[in-house]
Amino acid sequence: MSSPETITAPRPARRLTIARAISEAIGQEMERDPAVLVMGEDIGKLGGVFGTTTGLLEKFGAERVRDTPISETAFIGAAVGLAASGMRPIAELMFVDFFGVCMDAIYNLAAKQSYFSGGQVTCPMVLMTSVGGGYGDAGQHSQTLYATFGHLPGLKVVIPSNAHDAKGLMLAAIRDPNPVIFMYHKALQGMGWLGTVQRSITDAPEGDYVVPLGKAAIAREGSDITLVGLGLSVHHALDAAARLEKQGHSAEVIDLRSIAPLDRETVRASVRKTGRLLAVDDDYMSYGVGAEIIASVCEAGIPLRAAPRRIAHPDIPVPFTPVMEHFVLPDADKIAAAALTILEP
Amino acid sequence: MSNRSDRLWMYGTMVKSRHFEALIKPAYFEGKTPVFNMAKGPLPGEMHLSDGQEPCAVGVCAHLRPGDTVTATHRPHHVAIAKGVNLDAMAAEIFGKATGLSGGRGGHMHLFDAHVNFACSGIIAQGLGPAVGAALASKLRGEDHVAVAFLGEGAANQGAFHEALNLASVWKVPVLFVIEDNAYGISVAKRDCTAVARNADRAAAYAMPGHFIPGNDPDAVYAVAGEAIARARRGEGPSLIEIETCRLEGHFMGDAEAYRPAGEVERLKAADPIPAYRDRLLADGFDAADLDKAETDARAAVDAAFAAARAAAYPQPEEAFDHVFA
Amino acid sequence: MTDITVPAGLWNDGDEAAISAWLYADGDAVSEGSVIAEIMVEKSSFELTAPASGILHIAVAAETPVTAGEIVGHIG
Repeated sequence: MSSPETITAPRPARRLTIARAISEAIGQEMERDPAVLVMGEDIGKLGGVFGTTTGLLEKFGAERVRDTPISETAFIGAAVGLAASGMRPIAELMFVDFFGVCMDAIYNLAAKQSYFSGGQVTCPMVLMTSVGGGYGDAGQHSQTLYATFGHLPGLKVVIPSNAHDAKGLMLAAIRDPNPVIFMYHKALQGMGWLGTVQRSITDAPEGDYVVPLGKAAIAREGSDITLVGLGLSVHHALDAAARLEKQGHSAEVIDLRSIAPLDRETVRASVRKTGRLLAVDDDYMSYGVGAEIIASVCEAGIPLRAAPRRIAHPDIPVPFTPVMEHFVLPDADKIAAAALTILEP
Repeated sequence: MSNRSDRLWMYGTMVKSRHFEALIKPAYFEGKTPVFNMAKGPLPGEMHLSDGQEPCAVGVCAHLRPGDTVTATHRPHHVAIAKGVNLDAMAAEIFGKATGLSGGRGGHMHLFDAHVNFACSGIIAQGLGPAVGAALASKLRGEDHVAVAFLGEGAANQGAFHEALNLASVWKVPVLFVIEDNAYGISVAKRDCTAVARNADRAAAYAMPGHFIPGNDPDAVYAVAGEAIARARRGEGPSLIEIETCRLEGHFMGDAEAYRPAGEVERLKAADPIPAYRDRLLADGFDAADLDKAETDARAAVDAAFAAARAAAYPQPEEAFDHVFA
Repeated sequence: MTDITVPAGLWNDGDEAAISAWLYADGDAVSEGSVIAEIMVEKSSFELTAPASGILHIAVAAETPVTAGEIVGHIG
């Protein structure tokens, strides 16, 4: 296995898509730890509909890389049982929208193992799942549901915005003794047929490293306004920040990376500096990530130069037809416009 | 043996359904070249075509009335057409136009036509519970309507399937569960993920008759479904039928189908049920001119629907906020 | 100077292929064997690896159709 990176040995950049970073992380951990196995629909021969398990079946065989029937309740429940028995399962829920058929195994079982057992029984399990729309897949295949999963106690929930973080977060997630929901945004996988966000294709070291769960990152430093995003909305915020810069405004962009635990301190420190806050995500608006960010800042009594705002998907099902879908989805234009109302009231 | 006019209807409807898919396919790929970006073109998102599965739809729906309920899946076009869904509004919905069944809000996997009690869903096995409910409504109101839930063989491994079949028997409701067995989920073959060889055998676990129909044969489906639907209308309860069919296209448009053995698709195309049925009808004494007319009428209806769909306007973006609540 | 050539035999003749993404920018340093671009044929992806180490020069932009055997850049 590779040795840790040394500062004295620079190497050329090694760019990966998020999909590749995920499959690489899983493969490296499966090599390192025989207790790791992966299961889900079409994750074997197909390598996952979204490329998360490419190459793993060939490398590790069908005992450790298991194509399942369309039986989410059963195989996710089985993953909890495997975890309780000392294995480290990774299960894929093909679309987060499908959580409805198996949520009991997740929020009532996996999430409460440690608590109900007083710490005797843990649940070191990763549930990876695709989120997001914007490509016409309509109301049952385009949701993000960050708030739904972030809200329920006992689950850790992460979402990377780039390949480097994707690999590091996955390695951290597999090693964590708790159930981790690893969300990956379809628009950022680098699958080509879902479009390519070039900025998500980043350098990811070949060796072993982790990105800690529960820590946000500063994606762009700035001084006039704090833009908070996660997954795809980080990229929209960065695009908006570039435009704001041309108009003389310096925007700081925070990439939350973790929904639960939420790194409130990083957000608060940024808003203490800028005094202005705009939270952006593509989940449903009410009771959402934006609400939690704004509440975290306000209840800390941080002085604000303007009212905080949030941009999110409205409280309607994701519409199919593109004129409607793109009308309601957050994007760089909407972020820049909202930021300007805060910066230039 | 099915009666003459039903058989002619089945043939024409299969042709209509296949022609619909034949026009969808190039429209789907418009705008998606050179790089296949699913978001682009007049038909964004996913597309699941029903080529090869037409016998399942026509053999069942030949016995249904507008008042009978049908729930279908993410692969709905052949069932919707056979149920009598408004073809123009269906095409317009798939194109995301204001004249669509739900004004563009639902798209190809969420087609609803209340006039003929048709609905479909993108969540596997989601339509089974609602079919049980629709059947119960008919029973409570003293009607003789039936409900039919279509599902794939992969859905028979989903919890909702088992619950719905059990409940249908416990409540003794007039529902028919129709499994279209096309042998694959997405990439996983039925034999690799199903504990039993015949899903029809699972019916016994839920105290209802189960029938397996081989050969993707509209007449065979018609005979068995007719019996099951008549049984349900008489108040004798639910049935399960399992139809051996085939999927001539990929699971979704763009599917590379690397999981299919070499030659399999060619073999299946050689056994295409539509030309085979035409041959059989001719052998049974049907007039070629009648078959030709059925084909011409079917294609004309589809051509008109597509022309209207393309010409129709998109909705206003703000209309996205309508119909969240009644 | 090493040419970067689209490999032959990966997909059926007649299927249209295009580079969906270059993973590196023109002028970046790349290592031999690393994946430098993705080529798409319908929904399937194929990887294009660097035939040598050095500086990448892109000749054919993303989203442009390519054919088997075509030279899409070089490493110098």
